[in-house]
Amino acid sequence: MKITYSWLEEFVADLKDFSPQDIANKLTMSGTEVKRLEYTGDKYKNIIIAQIESFIKHPNADKLSLCKVNIGSEILNIVCGANNFKEKDLVALALEGAKIGDFTIKKSKIRGEYSEGMMCSEKELGLSQESEGILILEGNYKLGESFARQVGLDDWVFEIEVTPNRPDCLSVIGIAREISAITGLRFKSLEYDCQNEININKNFQIEIKNLQLCPRYSAKIFKDIVDKKTPDWMKNRLLLCDIRSINLVVDLTNYIMLETGQPLHAFDAELLASNKIIVRTAQKNESITLIDGTVRTLNEDTIVIADEKNAVAIAGIMGGKDTEINEKTKNVFLESANFWGPSIMKTSKKLGLRSEASNRFEKKIDPMLTIIALKRFEELLNKITGQKFEKVIYDCYLDVNRERNINLRFSKIKQILGIDIERKAASLILERLGIKNKISDDYISALVPSFRFEDLEREIDLVEEIARIYGFENIPTQKLDSRSSHGKYSYSQKMTMKIRQTLEDSGFNEVINYSFISLKEFNFFKLNEETSFKDYVRISNPLNEDFEILRTTLLQSLVKNLKDNISRKILNLRIFEISKVFFKDNSGKNNLPIEKTRLAVLLSGKANLKSWNYSERTYDFYDLKGLLEYLFEKFLLKDSLKLLNNEYKFFHPSISADINFNNEKIGIIGKIHPQLVNLLDIRQDVYFMEIDLDNFIIKSDKKQQFKQIPQFPSISIDLAIVIDEKVTNSEVEEEIYKNGGKNLVNLRLFDLYKGKQIEDGKKSLAYSLEFRADDRTLKDLEVEIISKRIIENLNRKFGAVLRQ
Amino acid sequence: MEEKINLLKQDLNKTFENFTNDKKEVKSLNELDLLESKYLGKKSLIAQTLKNINEFPHEVKPFVGKTVNEVRNKIENEIKNLRDELNLIEFDRKLREEKFDLTLPGRLLPLGSKNIINKVIEEIQEIFIGLGYEIAEGPEVETDYYNFEALNHPPDHPARSLHDTFFIDDKILLRTHTSPVQIRYMEKNKPPVYIIAPGKVYRKDYDVTHTPMFTQIEGLAVDNNINFGNLKWTLETLAHSFFGKDRKVRFRPHYFPFTEPSAEVDVSCNICGGKGCRVCSGTGWLEILGAGMVDPNLYKYVNYNPDEVTGFAFGMGIERMAMLKYGIDDLRLFFENDIRFLRQF
Ligand SMILES: [Zn+2]
Repeated sequence: MKITYSWLEEFVADLKDFSPQDIANKLTMSGTEVKRLEYTGDKYKNIIIAQIESFIKHPNADKLSLCKVNIGSEILNIVCGANNFKEKDLVALALEGAKIGDFTIKKSKIRGEYSEGMMCSEKELGLSQESEGILILEGNYKLGESFARQVGLDDWVFEIEVTPNRPDCLSVIGIAREISAITGLRFKSLEYDCQNEININKNFQIEIKNLQLCPRYSAKIFKDIVDKKTPDWMKNRLLLCDIRSINLVVDLTNYIMLETGQPLHAFDAELLASNKIIVRTAQKNESITLIDGTVRTLNEDTIVIADEKNAVAIAGIMGGKDTEINEKTKNVFLESANFWGPSIMKTSKKLGLRSEASNRFEKKIDPMLTIIALKRFEELLNKITGQKFEKVIYDCYLDVNRERNINLRFSKIKQILGIDIERKAASLILERLGIKNKISDDYISALVPSFRFEDLEREIDLVEEIARIYGFENIPTQKLDSRSSHGKYSYSQKMTMKIRQTLEDSGFNEVINYSFISLKEFNFFKLNEETSFKDYVRISNPLNEDFEILRTTLLQSLVKNLKDNISRKILNLRIFEISKVFFKDNSGKNNLPIEKTRLAVLLSGKANLKSWNYSERTYDFYDLKGLLEYLFEKFLLKDSLKLLNNEYKFFHPSISADINFNNEKIGIIGKIHPQLVNLLDIRQDVYFMEIDLDNFIIKSDKKQQFKQIPQFPSISIDLAIVIDEKVTNSEVEEEIYKNGGKNLVNLRLFDLYKGKQIEDGKKSLAYSLEFRADDRTLKDLEVEIISKRIIENLNRKFGAVLRQ
Repeated sequence: MEEKINLLKQDLNKTFENFTNDKKEVKSLNELDLLESKYLGKKSLIAQTLKNINEFPHEVKPFVGKTVNEVRNKIENEIKNLRDELNLIEFDRKLREEKFDLTLPGRLLPLGSKNIINKVIEEIQEIFIGLGYEIAEGPEVETDYYNFEALNHPPDHPARSLHDTFFIDDKILLRTHTSPVQIRYMEKNKPPVYIIAPGKVYRKDYDVTHTPMFTQIEGLAVDNNINFGNLKWTLETLAHSFFGKDRKVRFRPHYFPFTEPSAEVDVSCNICGGKGCRVCSGTGWLEILGAGMVDPNLYKYVNYNPDEVTGFAFGMGIERMAMLKYGIDDLRLFFENDIRFLRQF
């Protein structure tokens, strides 16, 4: 919301004692944030009021005129290209040094004729988007005086952000009242004595069908309004507040809304079908053509203003086209009403129509404002046109008590703020906020006025009022020693941080992606066909189709990161993400989705680039498996890791496995299906794994115990066998361990060979075996016997033979 | 005979003297070999004397032998020492002759990185762990009750419109702030409560300054006698630890439905030093978080007695904290996952 300093001056006595900057700062520091403060006079420097004395055609240019222009102290020569003026017209004259857009005015010769300035158009002055000819001013202005000051453009504009609990501050008077409370200056309220005007005749009737939906409807009829333009000061004040001028009546409604916070709507009284206004909810399939030209079909819970025939406005949101004010309008029916906020909010959301009026109603404004706004309209219209109007106000309302008594204990102030605030000071703060009160023994008895009825309900609300006006900066800081035992991370938080740190230290870059993906991506990776990934959660109002569902795996996000980085020419990626995935809980209605924390890792591209001392190498499956083994060794027990072939549709059918810990699945690992990778235009192999982190952490070794360092030397032997290539390494290892006995402490595959010297369909595997006993030094003979047994069994089981 | 022995003694002394002189000239192992053969070789006085020791009478032979050996040992010792010395010099010379290019690149270890968001979360967690807080967590998909209702946002509350919410259905939604964790934690734990809760939150807003997902940290302290001064102290401590001791902190009154009084907290702009610049929109201040005293209404939802306990809560956007601390000027960078961005942290 924008308001101006000069406007505030009308409602705060001696505001001039404080500079606009000072006021802005004080407002901000008391909870009414001033986002921007702008001085508008700068733009109009060296532009003054002048009067055209006479003019003749330019001797050397058909379209130009030579004007004699009076600026009070002297007559200047001005060359002008417009032709919409006549003698005695008042104009805005830009003198040397004035800035019009990017252009600085200089005295100059135009086609041989001397010109001492420029007469400006509205567009050049920034008063409208388009304009024809120069601006001709109407009214009494002093020649030679500053144009901006004379027409109300020399001002300070406050751009204010009002919090949703303070609809009363969506107005000049609301802000003025705040200023009064923080500065101690006197607030000059709008007050009208008009009890004797209310409902004194029945020439017009108002019927409210549901007083909950419309607690108050006040109106006044203004007959035979003379055709007058909006005065410059009002037009420009509205302009500074971002409201463009339309016509006098509409401008007045906007002006009064900004000033009092009460939205007004003017109907052409002649165009209403009856002398009765009915406030009701819309009928089924009822429709209305609005001022903006759109036709809207209404819901049965929409509040409408209707005459006896049709709906003529959507309450609080927009008026109808048929009864709109136009250039022929003579009689105005002016509505000043109060509608139920939640209903207005619902309708404005549904129709996608938000306006200054609906914004105010949504936040529940004070019903007492309706009469004040009508009277203010009358007062200003009278000031502008000089007309007097019939003293009748029609008013219909729900009679409720809108004053509230609250007792504010001094002990509560002390408890919440931590300081004692002097009793009288606290009382005065409330007083200046318009809250009448008196001090009793140990509390203040306060009477909340109607305009704060919605937000001041409880003792704590008054504590807040005291605090913000007293000033947060005046409340001293107090050290807080927490009385909880001590700060700490939970085991799982600590482990998550350790795992993250381990991955960082291992050279992986951590990514974070949005939790949502598109259904298209989901199906592209065939997740809809995988039991463990298919139960996604859908967002009912997604931003767009790219953000339609919640991830059930981090797969597509990491592949997307790869693709995006490849497009930035970064081809080699080691990335990971730790995030939640979400699954629909099908076990019951209204259940929250199941959330699981996943660790996903993706590898693709080159492990080493070609270098002067080592050769290029591309990542392969075993790089990823190596990381997995490292994580298992670091956090669990390495021997408990097992990969079991399990086909996932997004993985290469031969390189696709479950990660098992003690025969329980805790993740997946594989190579992304080459066809998917191709379709994504990724020209390199991609390896991916994902671990259920919650599960991994639960299983990690919490009670690590020291193990004796071996005291006796070990014996190592090498064992090279030739075996059918279908037999896997783990089958061989299992067999070796089975026969190796408890003294076989380590087993390492150091060579794998297929090709020359080895029969087709066979491979050679070479293992290094390490034997050691805890209680003695092993003898060579013992090891020999064991290794013999191993070979015999490998032969029996797999037909393996010792390689010669 | 005595004379002969004296003569021998003299000769030996002379020989040692000569040796000492010759030794000074020795500069290489070769020269040392020559020196050795000159004084200890077959033709040397020492070798000759020992060889012909039988020329001496039986009773003086031990004496002669001892005398000659003494000198020989002395010489041998000196030669050995000199040889060690020369060997070391020679070794050193060979090392120095090796040509080694230190400027060739080393074998690369891949550089990993923690995501900047988690890095900032950890920095803030550390500060609060130090102040005696624990870390609490809650679901990212929430019920309307925890996200709004129990936080003083009844269904028709205008403050709801500040949150553009993603819904799963009419009662289940993506949490719009981390504040539901407050309620969930208080439901399960009695005071005193000192927690912070980091996590992802979601709002339906996507432009240059908004992403539909972002990260917050929530803080909550509830205990006997917690007051607004304590809140100020806590957040000043945070700001000073996180941004630096030289930064000023100010508290502006604001409105949040679940705290009262509520405040927005600013730190002084480090770019202009408080004079006003583009980054701080000319105000000299940068908003970092929202905070306030817990609204007593909340205690009703979790069965705390509002006359016995008071507390404060605060919440901040991690991306914003990161932007202000590390000078990141574009919010979208956080979720583009450009390796060149990630590797900087
Ligand atoms: Zn700045």
